[in-house]
Amino acid sequence: MRRFYLPALLLLLLGLAQGQTGTTYITPELQRLIQAGGQNYASVLLRQDPAQALCSTHRNRLPAEVLGPFIEEQRKNIKYPADGKLMGDWKQGEAIFNTLARGNCFSCHVGSPLNIGGNVGPSLEKYGQRGTSEAVQRYTYEVIYNTWAYFPCTVMYRFGVGGLLKPEEIAHVVAYLLDPNSDFNTKPALKR
Amino acid sequence: MGRFWRLAGVILLALVGLLALAQEEVDPFEEAQKQKQQLLELSGGILPTDLIAAQGEELFKAKRGPKNASLEACDFGRGPGRLEGVVGRLPRYFFDTRKVEDLDSRIRSCMINLQGLRPDQIRRNEVVAIAFYIASLSNGQPMTVRPLMPQEKRLYELGEKLFYLRAGPRDMGCASCHVTYVGRRAGVLPYSDILGDKRVASHWPAFRYSNDQAWTMADRIRACYSNLSMPAPDFYSEPIIALTLFMNAKAYGGKMDLPGFIR
Ligand code: HEC
Ligand code: HEC
Repeated sequence: MRRFYLPALLLLLLGLAQGQTGTTYITPELQRLIQAGGQNYASVLLRQDPAQALCSTHRNRLPAEVLGPFIEEQRKNIKYPADGKLMGDWKQGEAIFNTLARGNCFSCHVGSPLNIGGNVGPSLEKYGQRGTSEAVQRYTYEVIYNTWAYFPCTVMYRFGVGGLLKPEEIAHVVAYLLDPNSDFNTKPALKR
Repeated sequence: MGRFWRLAGVILLALVGLLALAQEEVDPFEEAQKQKQQLLELSGGILPTDLIAAQGEELFKAKRGPKNASLEACDFGRGPGRLEGVVGRLPRYFFDTRKVEDLDSRIRSCMINLQGLRPDQIRRNEVVAIAFYIASLSNGQPMTVRPLMPQEKRLYELGEKLFYLRAGPRDMGCASCHVTYVGRRAGVLPYSDILGDKRVASHWPAFRYSNDQAWTMADRIRACYSNLSMPAPDFYSEPIIALTLFMNAKAYGGKMDLPGFIR
């Protein structure tokens, strides 16, 4: 019991320190319920960050007064590759995009010539047509690093925030999407 | 048992045949219904679920455990031994265990209390088979779960909160798929409309023919967590019961299609 109390308290304080209200979704009663699911389960569910708490509280549809500060907060936690390059090696990006246990991007997006795409997210077919301007690179990088900075509470994982992909790996994926020579832009997308 | 194995063989062959058939995009409920009909024709009128339910019936009626008792005196909410329609009434509060229990955990409680088994002696596949047997006696009955007791109301509310909770490195939460992105596909099957389509909660426990798996709602919930690399709640634990209570209550009035037959 004690073990879970401390992280919950820390998160609460963190939330208060950031001046966010409504960041405590997990009431003591809900906490007890979750703990009854076993230690492994509880160790992940009880470590809810303030943004996750807001999405939970508002059932994934943030009201106008919460939206602004939320997006601002999400933008702040985006980190960039050490060398500042937002486009890496598209070949490495290809592997990440098309691997279930890494990016798993193909499951939700049409566009890959290697895997049949899903339709949870919008089609990214020939995404490279948007060009490689600094603005397009930055948007693409940031959407992948922290999706919630653009689409609050959406289902796409915040790959950088969640620690699923390193900044350099995200840059590889950006290259896969944007490089005009990448297979993503030169070969036909697979569709069901 | 020999007859079982012969039948099991026939069904396995029929299943292999099914998977080779066309897989165009159709409503998953219609598709499963079609596959069920084809399987019935190929196997001469027997479904895999019939075998599992028959196995469950044997287990249910056999005298087992230190107390050498069957489960026939188990009360699933309509009194000892009354099994018809009980699946559509669970989860509910039980005075003897002083807990809200779903089908799985109630079976387990009776194995402990009536048969004298220790929790570590309870085999998951036996509980599933027994669940299929009991489910087969609830087919066509209505879903009538309604949280009225204070314990049920409390757990329902917690189940609802848990359903909307986002957590983990993938920001996982049931509602982000099953409410916001209903009907969209990340794989072969579309995200089902758990809160809007009463058929969803009403066909569990179910047999998944494409994986040859017999699953209860607990297995389904655990798989949704695992698919997003989250640790799943323990079998028979309260989070599973709370989520099931919430989803079943939302399906109030649905017609039970049991045991379910799904992709
Ligand atoms: C679980 C589903 C899911 C996964 C996995 C996923 N996405 Fe997304 N993605 C979405 C959704 C949904 C949106 C749209 C957000 C919205 O409208 O709420 C989106 C939006 C985007 C956009 C912005 C689209 C535009 O037209 O501006 C990009 C770019 C993108 N995703 C790339 C990726 C990449 C790259 C990966 C893998 C590293 C990925 N996505 C993984 C669901 C997903
Ligand atoms: C990232 C998406 C996603 C999340 C999050 C998710 N599920 Fe699912 N769920 C699915 C998919 C896909 C299926 C169908 C897959 C299958 O049956 O093979 C499914 C199936 C189900 C079904 C059976 C539907 C039917 O038609 O019989 C239930 C019930 C269910 N999920 C409950 C939950 C619960 C409860 C949670 C949260 C604890 C959850 N899901 C979280 C994607 C998700």
